[in-house]
Amino acid sequence: MAKMNLYSRGDKLFVIANMVLIGIFALSTLYPFIYIAAVSFSSGFAATAGKVILTPVDLTLAAYERVLSEPEFWRSYLNTFIYTIGGTLMSLIIIIPGAYALSRPQLIGRRFWNLVVAFTMWFNAGMIPFFLNMRDLGLMDSYFGLIIGFACNAFNIILLRNFFESIPASFEEAARMDGANEFQVLWKVFVPLSKPAIATVTLFCIVARWNGFFWAMVLLQDESKIPLQVYLRQIIATLSDDEEFASTLLTAPYSVETVTAAIIVCSIIPVLIIYPFVQKYFNKGILLGGVKE
Amino acid sequence: MSGVVLDKIVKRYGAAQVVHGIDLQIEPQEFVVLVGPSGCGKSTTLRMIAGLEEISDGNLTIADRHVNNVAPKDRDVAMVFQNYALYPHLNVAENIAFGLRIRKVKKPEIAKSVSEVAEILGLTDYLDRRPADLSGGQRQRVAMGRAIVRHPEVFLFDEPLSNLDAKLRTQMRAEIKRLHKRLGVTSIYVTHDQVEAMTLADRIVVMRDGRIEQIGRPMDLFNNPVNTFVAGFIGSPPMNQLTAVVEGGDDAPFATLGETKVKLPKLPQLQGQAGRKVVVGIRPEHALITPVDGASAIPLDLDLVETLGSEALLHTHVGDTPFVIKTETHGDIDHLYDVDKVYINAEKIKVFDAETGDVFAHPTQG
Repeated sequence: MAKMNLYSRGDKLFVIANMVLIGIFALSTLYPFIYIAAVSFSSGFAATAGKVILTPVDLTLAAYERVLSEPEFWRSYLNTFIYTIGGTLMSLIIIIPGAYALSRPQLIGRRFWNLVVAFTMWFNAGMIPFFLNMRDLGLMDSYFGLIIGFACNAFNIILLRNFFESIPASFEEAARMDGANEFQVLWKVFVPLSKPAIATVTLFCIVARWNGFFWAMVLLQDESKIPLQVYLRQIIATLSDDEEFASTLLTAPYSVETVTAAIIVCSIIPVLIIYPFVQKYFNKGILLGGVKE
Repeated sequence: MSGVVLDKIVKRYGAAQVVHGIDLQIEPQEFVVLVGPSGCGKSTTLRMIAGLEEISDGNLTIADRHVNNVAPKDRDVAMVFQNYALYPHLNVAENIAFGLRIRKVKKPEIAKSVSEVAEILGLTDYLDRRPADLSGGQRQRVAMGRAIVRHPEVFLFDEPLSNLDAKLRTQMRAEIKRLHKRLGVTSIYVTHDQVEAMTLADRIVVMRDGRIEQIGRPMDLFNNPVNTFVAGFIGSPPMNQLTAVVEGGDDAPFATLGETKVKLPKLPQLQGQAGRKVVVGIRPEHALITPVDGASAIPLDLDLVETLGSEALLHTHVGDTPFVIKTETHGDIDHLYDVDKVYINAEKIKVFDAETGDVFAHPTQG
């Protein structure tokens, strides 16, 4: 039997054009990763001379040996984990109940509070007032300051609020009839039903915290508390300013570029490991079967 | 005792009043069905009893306890929702146990209760399944299990069968009836389906526009509707209603339906009322296709014959008004196409005031 052709020529062209565009976009996103990895495994001279394009040139682990032998690297790596895990947990503790409250029709002044939260997405006090605020609250140069200072994020609250609003009211009513109070409704019903949205918000928080650079640089003076991103900046500055190191450029097994690339690769690995675990929640259908549509 | 008393219950949303001072006394162990068209206030009334809607005015008493300001969880009522509202992340056992776990009942006791309920509802083999892996009927049973496991004073059902197909609905209807018989818990059931109301209820409450039109036992409502609304709502197909004018003397009142004079019952309210506009109500099952002594015969043209198996519906019209006859087929419908007259016994006719829609009740009906 002849195969039925469900697609017109125009449809096929459209699909092909989409595939080509998506392919180009995917490659343009992927290439920086490949390039950085290739540089990190190349010799210092090859990287500095711009010989590395796609694969490592003069394959070597020298940059990694240099980076991994630094105690400061491990210290800053640990700090980044502390800021990321602590900050993400703190964010979720604030965002989840906040979003739930804003999603409830019975919240007194709901429209006003939603506006107040949304307002901070468009306007904020600015860098200097925020810095002064942190200073006056005694949150400078501390783990806690960096964790609590950036815990609340209006975009994430609104994202989660919208998801909570999409959950049928009958779940909440059923839980209330079953004897649940507001906190139990939230933690035993809404949170499990919102895993995809919470996973998304969690990933946003993790990435924002992991990549957090500017405020860590501004607020932290104590070298032992700086995260990896600030350490990366320091090592670039240190090696660039090191005249003795510069004179050995042609013979040294690593360069500023390869060391930078090696640190970047090290910093990317945890995110790459976490993503597949979070990704499984990025699916619809968690509400399937609970209510009859 | 676990009765429920609604005393002048009112519900307002801003300026709009949707429930207008309902008075209703539900006896312990009684099965009461609130029935009416969409927007009549039946679900709102149920939700006020559940505590999911605030009561704007009036008093609500459950088991001799004034509960207007009592939270839903403390009213000792359980509700079965129209859309099941099962927690999709929990399996059947966890769904049934949810309310007990919230109330911090001890684990062995929970396990025992869940197992008992599963046994009653035939869910024992499905306890490990998630709602998504269950059929519609099984999900509805889980929803009921979640309600009965707590042994509440009152069960509330909000159109629980409306999402099921016809066959399953009939089956579940019987299960609910059986369950009520077994547990003897006061139950309030909301539906827009008069068949469900007739089959399940000890008493039916017919509602319209936020008011109670009539309260009574199913057959009382069927036989003695208080107005044209109830007459049209209870019974399937609904009562034929034909507008006419009272004619003749007090001893032999009649009305002209189409071009035929049809004898009316001798009601005291019709005495001296010649010329008064009325609505003549005839149940489809009271319109006969075989001659009966003393019955009025109305000639008719058949529009359509609908076969239901043991019964058939003959669609015709009297004047311009559609008229339906319900008759038994006795296994053959060919003879139905030859029907050219319908016979109406005056005693089976209901007469309503055309202006108010209220029935002219027979004196013995009170």
